[in-house]
Amino acid sequence: MEDTPDHASWSKWFERYGPRLLLCARQWTCSLADAEDVVQEAFVRFWKHQRGLGGEPLPLLLTSVRRAACDRARGASRRTAREEQVAGDELEGGALFEPLRAGDDRRAEIEIALRCLPVEQREVLVLKIWGELTFEEISRQLDIPANTAASRYRYALAGLRKELTAPVP
Amino acid sequence: MNDDFSDLEAELKRMRPCAPSSELQSRLAATLDRPAAPTAQPVRIDHSVIFRRAWRWVLWPAAAAAAVALALVVMHRPDSVRSSAGQAAHPVSGTAAEPLATTTAAADLYEPVSAENVLYDSRDEGLITLEDGTAAHRVFQCYLDTYTWRNPRTNASLRWTVPRDELRVIPVRAY
Repeated sequence: MEDTPDHASWSKWFERYGPRLLLCARQWTCSLADAEDVVQEAFVRFWKHQRGLGGEPLPLLLTSVRRAACDRARGASRRTAREEQVAGDELEGGALFEPLRAGDDRRAEIEIALRCLPVEQREVLVLKIWGELTFEEISRQLDIPANTAASRYRYALAGLRKELTAPVP
Repeated sequence: MNDDFSDLEAELKRMRPCAPSSELQSRLAATLDRPAAPTAQPVRIDHSVIFRRAWRWVLWPAAAAAAVALALVVMHRPDSVRSSAGQAAHPVSGTAAEPLATTTAAADLYEPVSAENVLYDSRDEGLITLEDGTAAHRVFQCYLDTYTWRNPRTNASLRWTVPRDELRVIPVRAY
């Protein structure tokens, strides 16, 4: 990989990985703006210092995103009560997914169902489906046993299905 | 993994996460498209840089004083040339010392009267990680510095304006 700054190369990378990184970051931050800051920090660090390390870039990028998000959350937890109140609104700040061609209702349903999941299940689901991590990688990422990651994933899918097939009141 | 969920998994995989905002892309471009100069490695706080910057405050007035001296030499030269025109054999010998002495005396009369810094651009380049693992904000600022010297005897003034770029690394404090 070339070392010279090259807009085309990093933007191509970012076009490919940016949306997934942002979705994962939004699981660990309290606002879209925070998630974007975290993604920026992680991507810049990766692009400048880590892209020559070899191996699959996405797990490394996700580790970097999670670390930055945890740092930010630790800082936020010490800030004012007002900011803490804002931090309580998880996954706020607009749609998580691009509109579907078939219609936007289904996307909205899935997003609502996703937001209803417990955080620990949702983060595993997001890392597995859109982060494309294995359960081993997820277990390292979240510092939990791989079996726990797998069971959380199953619970998340079951919870999603339940929400999606629930009769509309 | 579980066949019962394969349809749901397939449906989820078809959903594409929203792209980051164009603002984030602009911020990345501002950081990554800049020539490699600022950092190819983790940022190191180099105290010698601070020392060098402190020296600028000493060197710039000195350089300006030298410029004033040079200007006065140039201003006085025609007189010396004229006065030495009659002395065809050794035009410089008798007159060189006098203008120089005058120049030094005149240059000494210029006193610094103001130093102004105008901040005309500031970019927050986001968070970085320092060598010791702590987080810091990197802020790029562009200033226009203007220094003025005045000769109280003649009321002549000299103004020098120079652009200056400054890269600040501000530690992020955890309260």
